[in-house]
Amino acid sequence: MASKVTRRNALKLAGAGAASGILANSGINGVTAKPLPARQDVHEIVHWSWLTASDGEVWQQMIDAFNEAHADQGVQIRMEVVPDDQYGTKVLSSAAAGQAPDFGWGTAGLRADWIDKDVVLPLDELMSAAELDLADFMEHALQSSRYPTYGDMLYMIPMDAMSLQVLLNLDHAAEAGLDPSSPPQTGAELLDWAEQMTVRDGDTVTRSGFLMTGAGVQPSVTWGIVAHQMGFRRAGDDLTEAALNPEAGQAAAQWVLDLFDEHRVATRDVTDRYQAFGTGQGAMFLTGPWTLAGYVADGLNFTSFKMPQVGEDASTYFELGGLEMYAQEDESRYEMTAQAIKWLSDNSFLWTTEGRGAAVRQSILDRDDYQTSGVPWDLRAAFVEGMSEAVIGEVPVKAAPDFTIYTGSGFVAQTMDPVWANERPIDEAVQMLAEQWEADLAEG
Amino acid sequence: MVSVATPADSQPQPRRRVSGTVVVLWVLGMLVVVAWAAPFVWMVSTSVKWPGDIMTRDIEWLPRRVTSENYAKVFAQPVLRWLVNSLIVATVATAFSLLSGAMTGYAFARLHFPGRGVLFFLVLATLMIPSEMTIVPLFIGFLRADLVNNYAAFILPSVASVFGVYLFRQFFLSLPRELEDAARVDGAGRFRIFFSIALPLARPAVIAAAILLFTTNWNAFLWPLLVAFTEEMKTLPVGMATFAPGVGGQTQLQSFGPAMAAMTILTLPSLLVFLVLQRYFIEGVISAGIKG
Amino acid sequence: MSEATLQRPRPVALARLRHATWQGERIDWSAYLFILPFFLPFLLFTLIAVGFGAYVSFTEWGVIGDPTWTGLDNFRRALADPFVPKVWANTLKYGLIVVPATTIVALAFALFVNQRWWGATLARTVFYAPNVVAVTVIGLVWVWLLDTRFGLVNQYLGYLGIPNVPWLTNPAWVLFGIALASIWWDAGFSMVIFLAGLQDIPKELREAAQVDGASRFQVLRHIVLPLLRPAMSLVITLLIIGTLRVFSQIYIMTNGGPANASASVIIYIYRIGFRDFDLGYAAALSLMLFATILIVTVVEMRLLRVQRW
Repeated sequence: MASKVTRRNALKLAGAGAASGILANSGINGVTAKPLPARQDVHEIVHWSWLTASDGEVWQQMIDAFNEAHADQGVQIRMEVVPDDQYGTKVLSSAAAGQAPDFGWGTAGLRADWIDKDVVLPLDELMSAAELDLADFMEHALQSSRYPTYGDMLYMIPMDAMSLQVLLNLDHAAEAGLDPSSPPQTGAELLDWAEQMTVRDGDTVTRSGFLMTGAGVQPSVTWGIVAHQMGFRRAGDDLTEAALNPEAGQAAAQWVLDLFDEHRVATRDVTDRYQAFGTGQGAMFLTGPWTLAGYVADGLNFTSFKMPQVGEDASTYFELGGLEMYAQEDESRYEMTAQAIKWLSDNSFLWTTEGRGAAVRQSILDRDDYQTSGVPWDLRAAFVEGMSEAVIGEVPVKAAPDFTIYTGSGFVAQTMDPVWANERPIDEAVQMLAEQWEADLAEG
Repeated sequence: MVSVATPADSQPQPRRRVSGTVVVLWVLGMLVVVAWAAPFVWMVSTSVKWPGDIMTRDIEWLPRRVTSENYAKVFAQPVLRWLVNSLIVATVATAFSLLSGAMTGYAFARLHFPGRGVLFFLVLATLMIPSEMTIVPLFIGFLRADLVNNYAAFILPSVASVFGVYLFRQFFLSLPRELEDAARVDGAGRFRIFFSIALPLARPAVIAAAILLFTTNWNAFLWPLLVAFTEEMKTLPVGMATFAPGVGGQTQLQSFGPAMAAMTILTLPSLLVFLVLQRYFIEGVISAGIKG
Repeated sequence: MSEATLQRPRPVALARLRHATWQGERIDWSAYLFILPFFLPFLLFTLIAVGFGAYVSFTEWGVIGDPTWTGLDNFRRALADPFVPKVWANTLKYGLIVVPATTIVALAFALFVNQRWWGATLARTVFYAPNVVAVTVIGLVWVWLLDTRFGLVNQYLGYLGIPNVPWLTNPAWVLFGIALASIWWDAGFSMVIFLAGLQDIPKELREAAQVDGASRFQVLRHIVLPLLRPAMSLVITLLIIGTLRVFSQIYIMTNGGPANASASVIIYIYRIGFRDFDLGYAAALSLMLFATILIVTVVEMRLLRVQRW
C-alpha cells in the first residue's frame, strides 16, 4: 500500500532531516562553555552579567569599549546576560561541572557561601600582579568587599556604590508650596513634607506623600535604615551577637507602620513602586540611583535629596556592586581575567556617570567632568555625596541573605511583611529576627 | 427573524422566534469575548506607545501617537537569531515528540505486552513530579557530558512528551478497530498497520498534539536558560527575558514599552501556529468524536 | 515454482516466544520497538533525573561537591517547618478557587462556542489564544490589570459600583487576583476538552428532548451534563494537577507575597532550591508534593467514578 505523503509526514521528514543536519554540525563532542575561538590566538574571556535595562546597555558599552581597545592584542570578552534570579543557579551548577565563567557581577557581602564552596577567588594577589592601584579605591568600598571570616581577603573589585536616597517629585512639591532647595533633614520634617504632599480621597490615600508598598522591599529597607539610625544593629562588629538594641528595631517598625495607619501618608495599595513614582502616585520615594536614567527618559520632573535623619544619625543603606572572579580548571586564565577587570575599573568613568551608582575610585571622583557627564548632577549628587553616610551594608557571613534588608522575599521581608499587614506583633517579629540571626552567626 | 440553529444542523428547520434569553446570552458572551481579548490588545498597543503615554489614567486602546523606538530597542539584540533558534528547537522537539508519542500511545492502546499497565502508570506519574526537582542534576549531567550550548542540548529533554503519549493513547483507544483488524486478517504486520492505517486516521490527534507540544516547547524557559552559554544560542523566551523585568511585578516605566514589544514578538509565532491549525484542531477533534 | 523448498527447522525456543501469551492473549513483541523512541529519552532525561532527585532528597547537597547522606533529616525538617503547612494551605486554597472556577468558565465557553451563531469561531479563537502565551506576558499585563488604583479590572468594577479590590496587595485577596490571571490563561484549554465532549453528544437526543417540550436549561441539566462526565473528569483531573503545581504566574506576579500569602508549594521549593541552594531539602519537599498530587488525583478520580484507564 503506497503511503501518501501527508502534510504531517512531510513535516516529519523535514524535521528529521533538519535535525540530523543540525546535530551533525553542532558538534556534540566538545562544545563547552568556552567554545574554541575562530582564530587560535584570540583569548576569549567569558563574562556573565545579570544587568538589564539601562544598566545593561551602559555595561554593554563598557564591554564593547574593552573589546575595541584590545582587538589587536587578541583578547576579547564574551559577555552573556543571565537573568538575575537564575544567575546563582547557573554559576554554581557550571562551577560544579568545572565550567564556571571567568568573571561576573557580584554584590559585596553576599558571597560568603560561594567562598566557602571555593567558587569565588580571593583577589589580593591577582590584582597586585595585574598592578591595579588599590590605593585609589575608597577605603570603605574595599573594606566592604573583604570577608573577615575568610582571612579578611578581598573577593570583589568594587565598581560602583549605590546608596538609598529620596527622590522628590518637583511638581508635587510646587503644588504644596515646598522649597526643594531645603529638603527635609529630620524625621519630623520628612513627615511634615509627606503630609503636605499627600492627597486623600476620604480615608483612602490616592497620592502617597512618602511612597511605600504594603509588603516586600520598600517597607523592609525603610525599616532597616530607620532601625539602624535609631541604634539597632543586626550583628555586632565582631559578628558574634545579633539584634543589638532590639527596642530600636521595634521603634523603627512602629515608625513604618505609622506611615500607613497613623499619619496616613502612605498606602498599602501600591502594586509596583517604580511605576507608581513614575506616574505621580507618590511624592517622595526612597530608592537607589539605578532608577535615575529611567525616570529621566520618562521625562519626570524630579530631584533627589539625602535620606533624612529619623533616628540618632543620618545613615542609609548602600549596595556595592563589583566584579568577581570564579575558579577555573585552567589557572593560567586568571592573569588575563585580572587584567580585564583592571581595565574595566580604570575606565569606569562611563559606568559611574551614565550607569548606576557612585564611583569608588578617587581618581574618577576627582575628575572635572565627573559631575558634568552622564545623568544630570542635581539628580546624582545626593547619591554620590550621600556615600559618606551610607554605612548600612551586608553582614558578610555565609547566611548573609538572611540579614539583607534590601529584599522582597528574603528572611527579613518574610518576617516583617506580616507586621506591615498587621498580622504579627512587632516584638514577636523582632524576636524571630534575633533568633534566626543568632543561629546564622553561629554558623559563621 | 433569525433562525436559531441547533448544533450540527443539516436539515431545514422550521423558523423559530428568537427568544430574549438567547439574545441576552449572545450579547453577554460577546462582551466576555471582548474582555478576554483586551490584554492582547493592550499588549500590542502599548508596544508602540511613547513611554509617557503608557500608564495613563484613561486607557488609550488606540494610541494617538506611535513610535517604533520600543521595537528598535528589542531588535538591537539578535532577535532574529533567537527566533530561528526557537523555531528549530520547537519544531524538531515537537516532531520527535509527535512520532514517539504516537507510536507509544498506539502501543499502549492496541498492543498487548507485559508491563503495559505498569509502564503507563509510570509515565503518567511523572506528570505529577515538579520539574524543579530534576533540573539541576540534569543540567550538571549535561555539563559533564559537554552537551551544552547546542541545539541537541535544548531539544533532548523535550523529545519524550508524556502528554503526547497520553493524548495518542486516548485517541487510539477510541478509534474503531475495523480497518486495522481487516488489515491484520490480510496479514499486514504491526508497523505497516500503524503507518498506513492508524496514523493517517490520527490526523486530528496529531494536529491537537502538535499545537499543544509546539506551544509548550516554544515557551520553555528555565532549561534553555541554563544550557545557553552564548547570546546567539539563546531561544526567544530566554533572550526576551532581559526585557521582561523584575520578578514580583516591579518594573521601571521606561522598560515597559520594550517589554511589551518583546512580548508581542514572542507571542506572535505561537499565535500564528494556532490560528493556522486551529480550524483542523478543533474540527478534527470533533470529527474524530463523531466517528465513534 | 518448485515445491521442493526445504523448510529450515525453526528453533523451538523462538517458536515458543512467538506464541507466548500474557494474560490470555498473544504478546505483541513489536510493541517494545514501538515504545522505544519514547522510552529511551524518557529513561535518560526523565526517569534517571527523577531517581537521582529522589536520592538527593535523603542527602544534603549545595550544588558544589557531592551530596552527603542524611537519611530522613530533610523529611523531619519538613514536618517541623512552619512554612510547610502555610504553603500547602495556600496551594489548597488556590486550588479550591481555581478548579471550580475554571471548570465552570470553560464549560460556559464551550457551550457558548458550540452554538453555531455568529461569532462562535471568533469566540473560540479568543478564548483559547491566551493558552499559547508565555508566562512573562501574564506577569506584565495582569499586574497592570489588577492594579488597585488604576487597573482595568477595578475600573470596570467601579462602573458597577464595586469599590476597589486590592487584588495583589492584600493577603486576603491575592490568591483571587492570581486566580483571575490563571483562569484567563488556562480556561481555553479546558474549553477545548469540553467542546470535544459536547460534540460527542448525538444531536438526536437533544432534539428529542426539545420536541418533548424541555427547555434549554433542562436539556443542559439532564442530558448534556451527565454525558459530559468523562470530559468533566478529565478537565478536573488536569486542573488539580496543574493548580497543585502552580508556580510561574505567582512567581512573576507577586513572588509569593504579600507576606507569603500567595506562596505556593513550588514557590517555596524554588526558594529553597534555587535561592538558598539547599537541594536536598528542596528534593524532599518535591517528593512530598508528588505524593500529595498522586493521592489527591486518585481520590478525585474515585469520587467521580469514571472508568478512564
